[in-house]
Amino acid sequence: MTLTTTRTDPAPPTGTDPVLSVRDLRISFPSEAGPVEAVRGVGFDLLPGRTLGIVGESGSGKSATALGIMGLLPPSATMSGEVLLGGRDLVGLGDRELSGVRGKSIGMVFQDPLSSLTPIHSVGRLLRDALRVHQNLTKQAAWEQAVELLDLVGIPDPRERARSFPHEFSGGMRQRVVIAMAIANRPSVLVADEPTTALDVTVQAQILDVLRLAQRETGAGLVLITHDLGVVAGYADDIAVMYAGRFVERAGVDELFRRPTMPYTARLLAAVPTVDSGVRRPLAAIGGEPPTPADLPPGCPFASRCAVALDACRAEEPALREVTGHGHVACLRAEEVADGTLDPAGPADRADEHPGPVRAGAGDVVLRVEDLVRTFPLTKGALLKRRVGTLHAVNGVSFELRAGETLGLVGESGSGKTTTLLEVLRLRRPESGRIEIAGTEVGTVQSAADVRELRQNVQIVMQDPLGALDPRLPVHQLLAEPLQAIGRGRDAIRTRIHELLTLVGLDASVGDRFPAALSGGQRQRIGIARALATEPKLLALDEPLSALDVSVQAGVINLLARLKRELGLAYLVVAHDLAVVRYISDRIAVMYLGHIVETGDTETLFSDPRHPYTRALLSAIPVPDPQRERTRERVVLRGELPSAARLPAGCAFVDRCPLYRLAGDDVRQRCRTERPAPRVVAGQPGHVYACHAA
Amino acid sequence: MLRHVTRKAAGWLLMIAVATNATYFLASWFLDPRSNYQGQRPVRSEAQIDLALAPYNLDPRVPVVHRWWDWVTSVVLRFDWGKSPTGVSVNGEIGYRSLVSAELVVIATVLSVVVGVALGVYTASRQYGWADRVSQAVSIVVFNIPASVIALAVVFVAIWLNQHAGLHFLYVAGENSPNVQGLLPTIGDRLLHLILPTLTLTLMGYVGYHLTQRSLLLDTLNADFVRTAQATGLTRAQAIRRHALRTALIPTATSVAFSVPAIFTGAIITETIFGWNGMGRYFVQTISKNDVHGTVATAAFAAALTAIGAILADIATVFLDPRVRVS
Repeated sequence: MTLTTTRTDPAPPTGTDPVLSVRDLRISFPSEAGPVEAVRGVGFDLLPGRTLGIVGESGSGKSATALGIMGLLPPSATMSGEVLLGGRDLVGLGDRELSGVRGKSIGMVFQDPLSSLTPIHSVGRLLRDALRVHQNLTKQAAWEQAVELLDLVGIPDPRERARSFPHEFSGGMRQRVVIAMAIANRPSVLVADEPTTALDVTVQAQILDVLRLAQRETGAGLVLITHDLGVVAGYADDIAVMYAGRFVERAGVDELFRRPTMPYTARLLAAVPTVDSGVRRPLAAIGGEPPTPADLPPGCPFASRCAVALDACRAEEPALREVTGHGHVACLRAEEVADGTLDPAGPADRADEHPGPVRAGAGDVVLRVEDLVRTFPLTKGALLKRRVGTLHAVNGVSFELRAGETLGLVGESGSGKTTTLLEVLRLRRPESGRIEIAGTEVGTVQSAADVRELRQNVQIVMQDPLGALDPRLPVHQLLAEPLQAIGRGRDAIRTRIHELLTLVGLDASVGDRFPAALSGGQRQRIGIARALATEPKLLALDEPLSALDVSVQAGVINLLARLKRELGLAYLVVAHDLAVVRYISDRIAVMYLGHIVETGDTETLFSDPRHPYTRALLSAIPVPDPQRERTRERVVLRGELPSAARLPAGCAFVDRCPLYRLAGDDVRQRCRTERPAPRVVAGQPGHVYACHAA
Repeated sequence: MLRHVTRKAAGWLLMIAVATNATYFLASWFLDPRSNYQGQRPVRSEAQIDLALAPYNLDPRVPVVHRWWDWVTSVVLRFDWGKSPTGVSVNGEIGYRSLVSAELVVIATVLSVVVGVALGVYTASRQYGWADRVSQAVSIVVFNIPASVIALAVVFVAIWLNQHAGLHFLYVAGENSPNVQGLLPTIGDRLLHLILPTLTLTLMGYVGYHLTQRSLLLDTLNADFVRTAQATGLTRAQAIRRHALRTALIPTATSVAFSVPAIFTGAIITETIFGWNGMGRYFVQTISKNDVHGTVATAAFAAALTAIGAILADIATVFLDPRVRVS
């Protein structure tokens, strides 16, 4: 049980017995239309110290699999098959028997650290309770162990912090606590369900390191469930790809990434935007949407989206079978793909290639922001509010955006990127600085009519299309609303709605449907159509793709590129996912604590990042390629984004800067006391960064 | 904590003073104590009536501000809340009746909360099971029956039981039996008299706690942190009790504390049917008999209970939610 595997040496499976064996696991949930099979026969073996990555999109059944293994499914769900933990079958055990296993032999790390800790107990108490469930410890002894665990997972000052409550921790710190709880009783199996999805990339890298450390400490086998192919590439030993409730491909990490054999895996990999150096490869979207588990077609569930499907694929669902030299694949044409005679992307599909952002020449300036400042007062006291500080959310931000151009604002949460966007959309005189939209300075517009006129030029696309669209309005009414607001006539509205639907690539028949009846990708297209209704010049996109699955995301990226080309729009994109930003932006501005620390053309910035923060941000993103992921040099930032309430006098990044730690005394002095001025990189016009040391 | 409570208490004291004085002026304007004497035989003249009211500081010929000043000084200096238009001491009445009410209300409230919350927890963890459906149906039916009907139904059932089952301890009227001597027999006798009114008040009170606690708990039952607690090895029932319930109890604690004054003065129908001389009946009597001082004293009593309830709610919140102590 003490076997550990390091990342550079993932291969040798020493002949140990598996700690966890799952055989033909089936899980179904009751629904109005009869039982829905969320998991349809999943099976695997997990050896101690090894990591199995389960990759799938939403609705593929990966979370249900995790909860099924833990015995935490809602009581209404039915489960069959075998979950053998150390030779004991967990399926069919009652809650009492299972509670003796959970936490002791299997630990689980959940997705959202913000909601997975009980808010009214201190983290020390949570850990102490977790220990005392299975071990006969005094409160005092358990508390001591809790403090040691907090220390192990990298909580600074653990003795003091054990008394703190979850809300006093940041997201990354809370996830460390959740991991500490999962490993408290040294389980032999760890299940991590999307452990880093809710976190910033820089924090994600830290948490993955903690998870690795926890696994090494306990020697546990890890089931890592994620939608992010990059995360599993660098982490897992074996990978299983899930689609519509089944494993469609299961192989070692190197084999899988070298030659993905199930067409779905291959297309999924091709649809992932990447940031690794070299040229930007075209994104190939998978057409269509993942099937809903309630309504599965006969035959292979991927057949309708597959470019190389045969008639036989639609008749019967292929079983998962061994393909020599690769692993297990559920595809009739697996051998052809495996030996390289068949391209799973299909022969004719390359026409839909993403041409990359084409700069539409130097258009007119649509948005000019100069020295924008936005602060929020921090108050204390219930009755009489007194100001105890100021939060500098946006601090002297300047940029320019021309027609036909996309500017991506990137940074961790709390960096001020969304505040910048909202300031632009607010259409009021900013606290300090200037905002100019299509040649009109925002502060000078007084009358309500002029503001409404200006509003037509700026529209927003929200992050979560389900939350942004009124669930009680059908699509045509959703699209008519902005047109009615600007006083269009009935007939004009009808023709415009038709135009809009065609523009975003939707059929006119969706007009009668309600948002709930649409898929995620269709909903986001409606969100875009609604924003385009008033023919704006500037579109503000707030995390437009983060709520979408990878296979759908690529289609929306391509749509955005086409709309920009056809309509000459300017996009202001806020996103935390640098890989996505790379595919839609012409220029990128990296924000840190309300400052733009580096800005430049997308490709220059990616190939030659100058600011240490940009470098760290870029290197934190996992690359979906196991070889490169293991060998590449990574800059893992220490700590998390500090509060914008106490800005350092000098460079805002000084506390976390890796260059600062290496720099000489004179440079350090300047970093601490003098705010770095923007510098232009020689030979790269438009590439500006603010750093003393680089 | 102590500083916080003291500060809160000072605020509430101010509130009570304002509310009580405002009630004094309102009562003086709208209630006419002279009407108590107008129906008497032999008929008295206006001047005679006013003269009769004068010793009780209720003479309408004296300016209201003047009367108020006398009343306030007597309350503040001697804690004497005045007399009714017929000369009965308000202090004596309230002193006796508040104890009678307390007997009735405290037990009934505790029972309502315990029964209601327990049912809420039991049914929430079995949502849509038969136990949930049945108890919810019963609760909704009980909720819609007027208090007087419930009380009378309880009385009829008790009489039937007394007659057919030969029971003799279900008293349907009064707070105590006459001619009972000694401490223990008195307590026993009072407790037996309490059974039926307490049952009535509990039936009326538990439903609210059952339904709100059920929905509050349902909100937290499927929270991620309950699942995390289960993942550490707690059974579902343990995880609900230790993690979900405590969070879901916070709003209930607040509502219990604030409902205390309402029950104290609101149990009129139960008191009337079972013949108890509690605060609820006193409140109605003082208004109908144009008893200015009695009305004001009842209002002050209710205000004081509200304040105590609010402070208790604060303490309960701090006890249940340790986060409050941090900030």
